[in-house]
This record gives sequence, C-alpha cells and structure tokens, in this order.
Amino acid sequence: MTGVAATERGARERILAAAVERIASDGIDDMRIARVAMDAGVSTSLVHYHFETREALLGEALEYSYERAGEIRLADGEGAETNPPRRLLGMVEQCLPYPGVLRQDWVLWLELWLRTVRHPELGPTGARLYERMRDWLSEGIEACGPPPDVDSGELADRALALCDGFGVRVLIGEMPIEYAREQVWGYLARELNLDARLDAG
Amino acid sequence: MLAAAAEVIRERGLDRARVSDVAERAGTSAPSVLYYFASKAELLREALVSAEEGYYEQLERELIGIESARERLVKIVGGGAADGDYDAALWMELWAKALSDPELAATRAELDGRWRRTIAEVVRYGQERGEFGAAEPEGFALLLGSLLDGLAVQIALGDAEVTPQRAQELSFALAERELGCELRAMA
Repeated sequence: MTGVAATERGARERILAAAVERIASDGIDDMRIARVAMDAGVSTSLVHYHFETREALLGEALEYSYERAGEIRLADGEGAETNPPRRLLGMVEQCLPYPGVLRQDWVLWLELWLRTVRHPELGPTGARLYERMRDWLSEGIEACGPPPDVDSGELADRALALCDGFGVRVLIGEMPIEYAREQVWGYLARELNLDARLDAG
Repeated sequence: MLAAAAEVIRERGLDRARVSDVAERAGTSAPSVLYYFASKAELLREALVSAEEGYYEQLERELIGIESARERLVKIVGGGAADGDYDAALWMELWAKALSDPELAATRAELDGRWRRTIAEVVRYGQERGEFGAAEPEGFALLLGSLLDGLAVQIALGDAEVTPQRAQELSFALAERELGCELRAMA
C-alpha cells in the first residue's frame, strides 16, 4: 500500500471510529457530521469525500461497530486461559456490560438492535456477528466436555440469549453485573455439571 | 391514539416520531394528542402499558381453562417473547430510553415484574401439583424472562438461525432442565 492510500484508509477508519463514539454518546439521531469530523481531526469535506451522505456514514459506522463489537467480545486473550471452565466464564464476562469498553459497546449494541429492526439491510451484518459468537461460545462449551445429552450449539444459543437478556437489565440498572454473571454462569455450570465456584480456586 | 402511537414509534423510532404523525394517523390534532400525553416518552409508555394490559387479560382468560401447569407454561412461553408477534421494536425502544429516563426505567421494571410474577406463579402452581421440581420460582422466572428477551432480540433482528419456533424450543429446553419436567411433548 502506498503512503497516500494508507493515510486515506487511516482517515476513513478514524471517521468511522469517531462516528461510532458519537452514536454511543449522543444517540443515532443526534450524530452530526461536523462533530464527527472534529472528533476524527478531519474536515467535513473529507467526511463527505469518504461517505456521500449521512445515511451512508451511519450505515458503515454501524457495520464497523458490529465488527468492532465482535472483536471485543471474541477477544479472549489469545487462549491465555487454558482451564476450559475458566475460559468459558471469561467468555460469558465478555458478553456482559462490564464498566468501560464493554459497557460503551453495549449502549451501542442497543442502538444497533433498534436500527436493525427498522433497517433490515443491516440484518445480515448482525446475523453474521451472532453466528460468529455462537461458534465461539459453542467451542468454549465443547472444550468443557459437556454431558452426552447436552448439545453445545444449542447451549451456546441459550447462553448468548441469556447474556443479552441479563445484559440489558444490568445496563438499565436493574441489577448489579456480578449478579447477572452469577446467574448466567450458574445456569451453564448446572448444564455442564461443573462446579460454579471457580473463583475460589 | 395509542395504537397510532405504537405504529409510528415502531416505524420511525421514538426520536423521529412526531406528535403530528400520531395525530394524523389517529384522525385528530396534535394539540389534542398533547392534551392526553405530555410527551413522546409518555406515548411510548402508555402504548406499551396498554398493549400489556390486553395481553394479560387474554392470557389470564386462557390460563383459567388449562389445568396442567406444564401446559400453562407452554402457553406463556408461546405467547410471550418467543412469539413472532411480540412487539420487540417497542420493547427495545423502551430499553434504550430507560438508560436516560428514570420514569421509563420504572415502567420497564414494573412491566418486567408483572411478567416474572406470572411465570413464578405458574411454577408454584406446578410445584404444588407435583409437576415441577424444586426450583426457586422467582429465580427461574428471572432466568426464563431474560432468555426470552434475548431470543426476542435475535428474532427481531431477522436472524435466520433463530425463528420463533426455535426460540420456543430453546426456552422449553431451559425450563425442562431447571424444573425437571417434560414440556416439548406438550407443545
């Protein structure tokens, strides 16, 4: 890649990242191009050069954030944790809105859901991400040696839905995050005949 | 007016919904909409509350005619979030707005509380009849309620992997495990 192309690509990414931050903090409908340009340190005309319309920027920013969300969630320390149940617990934690980047991501996540319901063209991007998360969790479950009557893929589906359902409750402030973690993990541990008290060891 | 509000919010989202759209669709004027509802958030709140009222009225009528606790639970799961008709767009709107609006957060907690009580009641009823094992009813209701919310999101997103029917099966599987009973054969 030439220097110019690399810089252009950098600007494009910066714009997308700035748009994502703005959506998370101001909401999708209050995202302003001028503000995004300022945050990204570029001119508004460069934003328009990369993204013809506000809608185009929004669409790409959402795709970008789905990808980013996936990367954050799916990053489990490059397999640093070798104990399968501990690794699985770590995965569950990645799927819950812990303060910091995961929580910020979750706020965006909610906006994404809303947006996708109204703009079905975003559906495939969302579905791809869920697919990846399902495979990821399913593999983590499989590594724990599930009992013969437990289907790892189906349990992954349930675990993912539980994380989303509990995650929303945590985000709104209905329960502490540790409680949500305990509930999701407790359920998985019961299904997999694991000792739920991993923290002790 | 509430039906019109629900329609407009579903289509455009709360932020972009205009009181004048609601008025037009309801065949009235914006000032008269605002006479009954102080704000758009109030419209969302009332639309959801009234939809829920209708839902519970119907559910209660149906449950009375069912003797088996397992069949009651099947009915609840089938008519709740794992149903394709479930108004996920309005619920997600409520979740998103509840982040910054304490009144909407209270509404959401209230509606969720009622839903969980309904589930917990059926669990207790089934335990009395010896149909269900010794799960803690409130804990189970929270678990099932959260699962159904999560599945409803995936259905609403149009995920081909999670159809309403598959969502029901996944919910039954969780309930069977936690309550030590057979549900899928009854659905």
